[in-house]
Amino acid sequence: MADWMSLKWLLWISLYLILGVFVPWAASLAWAHQHGSDLRPRPKQLFERGELGLVGLVLGISVIWDLLQSQYMPQTRALGSVLLAVSGTMAGAVWIETYCRHSTGMRCNPERAWRDSCNLAFLVFSLAVVIEILLDRVAKVAAS
Amino acid sequence: MSAPAPALAKAPRRTVTVRLADAALTVACLSLVFGFLLVFFPVSFARIIRDSWLHGNLTVAMMVITLSIDACLYVRIAYRLSAKPTVLAAACLGSLPIVVAVGLNFCLQGAVDYTLSGDLPNLQARVGEEILAHTYLGLVSGIFLPFLALRLLQQLKTARSNRETESTSRTAASVSSY
Repeated sequence: MADWMSLKWLLWISLYLILGVFVPWAASLAWAHQHGSDLRPRPKQLFERGELGLVGLVLGISVIWDLLQSQYMPQTRALGSVLLAVSGTMAGAVWIETYCRHSTGMRCNPERAWRDSCNLAFLVFSLAVVIEILLDRVAKVAAS
Repeated sequence: MSAPAPALAKAPRRTVTVRLADAALTVACLSLVFGFLLVFFPVSFARIIRDSWLHGNLTVAMMVITLSIDACLYVRIAYRLSAKPTVLAAACLGSLPIVVAVGLNFCLQGAVDYTLSGDLPNLQARVGEEILAHTYLGLVSGIFLPFLALRLLQQLKTARSNRETESTSRTAASVSSY
């Protein structure tokens, strides 16, 4: 069984969830309250154009940075970075596609954009979690 | 001879259009299971993977796992959309997981050789960590990359057919105006 100190990555990852998802949602509610509006957007409405993909991309970039500074061999660092970069780019591409469709007046399905961005952001999130666990393990091995 | 009645003519089934989000959800769940095993069985899980690599079974196991998951995922998407699987998809999903697993095996071999050639402390544990990381990255790549390639190929095909339709309609318009 792992010691609970190795779960510090969970706190680190949750910072992204709080700052990337919860804070924008709370800010929209605060704005509505300040302006006396009846607006009560749900996270799904707030991120319906695939903005969650951008959160995933930012999370991916920070994990790539951690990976590049790790004790792993260059092959492993390169492989992990490329995989994270591809997943992050595909997550960000959902937002780009939705924006382009919306701007050019092409048929745009917010339900699909929300689902795609959610799934791809979840993918980047899970990759980030496991890579942080692996980085934690390799740091302990290198230190011992 | 009379023409077949339209009601009896079979409507053509559309082909499966893969969306990356479908594969992403499966890979994310697999990833979390891997993370769960790493956190709750840090020694035994790592040892199983290392022993499997030492006995030469890891690459084959990864091929089997990724091929099975890819096939199940594709059949599930086809069933949900009531659409017809294509040869392009079968070729892509049948070959790419094998190519990825073999390529990553060479990459892992290189990483292990690099580790052993260095004057580093705790060599055995470092090699174990490299094997663990490559196994994880191999599983994720083996499932996600074939679907990514398939998605890009389908987009390319759609763009080409759109261009052809556009040029045909333009030619027809110019002939009729002439």
